[in-house]
Amino acid sequence: MEIITKLLTETFGLQLDNTGQLVAGGLTMALIMALVMATCAIVWTWAERKVAGFIQSRYGPMRVGKYHGALQPVADMVKILGKEDIIPDDADKPLFVLAPIIIFIASLLPWAAVPFAPGFIASDMDLGLFYIFAVSSGAIVGILMAGWASNNKWALYGAARGAAQMVSYEIPLALATIPVVMRTGSLNMNDIVIGQQGGIFHWNAFHDPFLFVAFMIYFISSIAEVNRGPFDMPETESELVAGYHTEYTGMRFALFFLSEYANLFLVSCIATAVFLGGWNLPVGNAVVLPGLVFLAKAVLLVLIQIWIRWTLPRLRVDQLMHVCWKVLIPLSLLCLLGSGILLMVSGEIAA
Amino acid sequence: MEAVLFYLFGALLLGGAIAAMTSRSAVAAVVWLIFAFVNAAGIYALLAAPVLAILQILIYAGAIMVLFLFVVMMLQGPTLKSELKSIGDRKWWLPVGAVLVALLNWMHGVSLEGFTNDAPAGFGEIKGVAELLLNKYMITFEMISLVLLVAIIGAVALASNKKGMPW
Repeated sequence: MEIITKLLTETFGLQLDNTGQLVAGGLTMALIMALVMATCAIVWTWAERKVAGFIQSRYGPMRVGKYHGALQPVADMVKILGKEDIIPDDADKPLFVLAPIIIFIASLLPWAAVPFAPGFIASDMDLGLFYIFAVSSGAIVGILMAGWASNNKWALYGAARGAAQMVSYEIPLALATIPVVMRTGSLNMNDIVIGQQGGIFHWNAFHDPFLFVAFMIYFISSIAEVNRGPFDMPETESELVAGYHTEYTGMRFALFFLSEYANLFLVSCIATAVFLGGWNLPVGNAVVLPGLVFLAKAVLLVLIQIWIRWTLPRLRVDQLMHVCWKVLIPLSLLCLLGSGILLMVSGEIAA
Repeated sequence: MEAVLFYLFGALLLGGAIAAMTSRSAVAAVVWLIFAFVNAAGIYALLAAPVLAILQILIYAGAIMVLFLFVVMMLQGPTLKSELKSIGDRKWWLPVGAVLVALLNWMHGVSLEGFTNDAPAGFGEIKGVAELLLNKYMITFEMISLVLLVAIIGAVALASNKKGMPW
């Protein structure tokens, strides 16, 4: 935000008081984040198909655009915008219209606390990590609303599954980040990244075994949290058609789609900032091209998630709940205890 | 700026609450309640209590309202025919409301000695809340978690064994 306001005042010569800076900087940041989300959807749909093609020994999209179907996402977007906007007769119309908007908002808001580079964070708030978990939980309400308002049994089943899954996996997701918060002594995303300076063994994921397990728990839960394979129970094509967005078409469906890919990138960005050292390089203290380093790590995590989705078969609902409540949550509590003891023994506790 | 935001959040909060009471569909009522809670979080944030604001969103607007939505959907089934009658049929809420307003009026008159307008620095920040919660009110805090634990054990016991209690 500082960078943005500086740019606005110095380069473009805008005269702004404090409130003006807040509003103009905030609006610019929001615009940038919305663009980031749109770019996510465009790049990841293409990458997902290419990786899926590679894994299944085929080409994936090849025709649209000169190079390897590079313009395929643009063609898809044009197609989706041209579709008829259908609201079923028996749907609860206000809720049906509202649901994709709520999901979109819930996936846009967390970006405010993602530290892409030093100073490049929309809101450098003290409760950054806490805030991210709080606002992204709004998506659950959106999913339930979409499933209910569609008045369709597949949509309702999908919504019930999705909500149960997301509510459950939020717990290990948040618990896995608490050891990091204890080590850093702060919930501020900037502080968490700065606390990991000094090479790969100062990154939280590789600092000690407990934190490594915590990182693994975070990564597994984050895949479940964004409803992707092998945890894509809410949208199982073979049993629920498309789950909670069965009845949606055109732009409304595009909002679900956009949020899904933005969330995929968001959880990877949070994992990068919290566990993988953010913009810090694997060696040394120097900060070189921080934004690119951050993006490279996040992109790597997204590619791993795509790889997992196209490699592993889907779990059953009971297996999913078993993994969450009987494996991940006890394990994350053990991690919390272990890293607490480690902090106490090593005397590393932040004052 | 703050006053504008306060009245904006306050008006939206009241509007959401009224809509939650008067709406005919139970699901719509829950959604309006979520809207009211989010605005309450906005007011907490204005009162220099960011932790409370985020907890309000995380716990009330997020978790508890999801539970409400679940219950409403499961009990009502996937039909949108509302079984609720208009709230206008029930006249008993008028005296209840009158009593509440009278209570508020009386509280307004009570002396506010010992209360100050300005919270001490860092009062609503995470460190201030944590220090109060884990030092001064630790016993209470732990007892509340014990109550929640009992509730969890009860729920598991009820759900896990269909023949009866495990004991």
